[in-house]
Amino acid sequence: MLEARAVMVFYENMLALNNVNITCPENGVIGVFGANSAGKSTLMYALSGIILDIQHKEKMRGGERISLFGEVVHDGEDITKLKAHQRARRGLVLCPERRRLFPESSVAENLSIGGHLASRAQAKETFDFVMELFPALKKLTRRAAGFLSGGEQQMVAIGRALMAQPTMLLLDEPLLGLAPSIQHTVVESIPQIRNERGISVIVTEQYARPVIPYVDYAYIVENGSTVMEGTREELLGNPDIKAAYFGCG
Amino acid sequence: MTTETTHKRRERIDRGIKVRSESLYALNSFEEIAYLLTPRVMLIAAFVLMPLILSPWPYWGRVGLSVCILAMLSISFDFLANYVGLVSLGGAFFYGVGGYMAAVLNTELGLPPILSIPVATLLGAAFCTLALLPCLPLRGIYFAIVTLMYPLLMTRIIEAFDILGGTEGFRGIDGFSGFFTEQYGLILAMFIALFGLRRFVNMDGGLVIRAVKDNDQSVRASGISVTWTKAKAVFLASLTGCFAGAYYIHMYSNVGISSFALDLSIMPIAATIIGGAGTLVGPVLGAAILVPLSEFLRDFGSLRIVVYALVLTGFVVFRSEGLMNYMTRKYQQVERWVKI
Repeated sequence: MLEARAVMVFYENMLALNNVNITCPENGVIGVFGANSAGKSTLMYALSGIILDIQHKEKMRGGERISLFGEVVHDGEDITKLKAHQRARRGLVLCPERRRLFPESSVAENLSIGGHLASRAQAKETFDFVMELFPALKKLTRRAAGFLSGGEQQMVAIGRALMAQPTMLLLDEPLLGLAPSIQHTVVESIPQIRNERGISVIVTEQYARPVIPYVDYAYIVENGSTVMEGTREELLGNPDIKAAYFGCG
Repeated sequence: MTTETTHKRRERIDRGIKVRSESLYALNSFEEIAYLLTPRVMLIAAFVLMPLILSPWPYWGRVGLSVCILAMLSISFDFLANYVGLVSLGGAFFYGVGGYMAAVLNTELGLPPILSIPVATLLGAAFCTLALLPCLPLRGIYFAIVTLMYPLLMTRIIEAFDILGGTEGFRGIDGFSGFFTEQYGLILAMFIALFGLRRFVNMDGGLVIRAVKDNDQSVRASGISVTWTKAKAVFLASLTGCFAGAYYIHMYSNVGISSFALDLSIMPIAATIIGGAGTLVGPVLGAAILVPLSEFLRDFGSLRIVVYALVLTGFVVFRSEGLMNYMTRKYQQVERWVKI
């Protein structure tokens, strides 16, 4: 279980996240929906610990001062101060926005970097699972990741995150720039990941429609605050939300 | 939310006067004009007063000039690295080419310094730009390596073919007519380079150059030739570097292959890091710290380099933004604790 309690993030004087509370239960799929600049990615950075890294780098560079408040609790333990790699070892793995693959490494290499800390048997087994999840990757294992299409790259990115043996997977805008048919393949993997591996998933997206059938509970973020939360049915029942995030009035 | 009141955050805000003086109306108020001019006047005053103060000690006068020489090389490096995106280790190349050009013009053609320096600057910059033209598509470390090779190449060519005076170099080059001519000529040139380039990077031409650094493909999509833009930028940077070389050889009346020494490529980087990369003024500040520091440390002999390296490492690790960025922030912004 992952909990964000009263998380606040300031980029210099700009409030990026305002008192956000989010809970992701064991084996749940949680959606976080919001427009650009709503704070979705910042929330993912805060949950995965990448924000600490960004904070440090900005400080060294003399750039923006990032202030963090609130706490992140994972399985009953306060992990607010843990760095990104320590959180990943606890099973909290981020699949970042815009994929961030290693473009010059092959697909198989990208996946094996993800599985660096996994045992050989685990890595082998997860690799097979990823290939089963995304059969399109089977023929591409030797291709350089930078030359794949956007959809294939997204599949590799999710695969790489899975190789790190997560218990909690953070998917940041997995459908960014993908064609509807490819979107379908990618979101269909979410229930499979949950059901077959027992991994909880937090997924962010701007346009909620493709994702909403697969989430149990969702939060709507606007200007850094959660303005609404509820189960899938509750959100679908709200006409304003429907118009803004599901593309139907 | 009970926790809210317990949080405190350090806030940075622009000083009122900074915000006010950004607009055109700043010219209405003496206070705001003073705010804008103070840092600039302080810098100019420091360099204008320097020769007057140092005139009883010619040795330290030369140290002052070395500051200006290093400052010009560092401005050239900073401009190329942080505005054009070409990390150049070719400071020594610009410097040496300018120096040898001026020496040839002075000793062979008999041009006086007042002519040989500007002509050598222009011809040298043209030569450097042409020589670097094939390397312009390179980026990052590749460009750095290639530009590092150029001064080494020049040294070996001069040695092997015994041209341009061979290992001896040129001697008996005309000096300057007086202490103050020598001092103010260089200081003036340094300020022209500094303020000229600062102005340039904010003009249209400079905008294109900065865009090339960020994303050259998008620049091409706007119908602009990237190579031509880079060539212009390299020309500007080498003008500064060649002038420094040409001036220096007239100061010391000789030139040799030491004009292509590796130090001249490395020192500007150190000055830029200490002063603050991407500010153009920072390198001047860095040079004004590094050169006197290295003079003071002369007594320590070979330990000098240890102290030197420690200072540099300290800056890179603990203050990689550099002095100038730090000081600008303090001058323009205030910090205070706010409750959330």
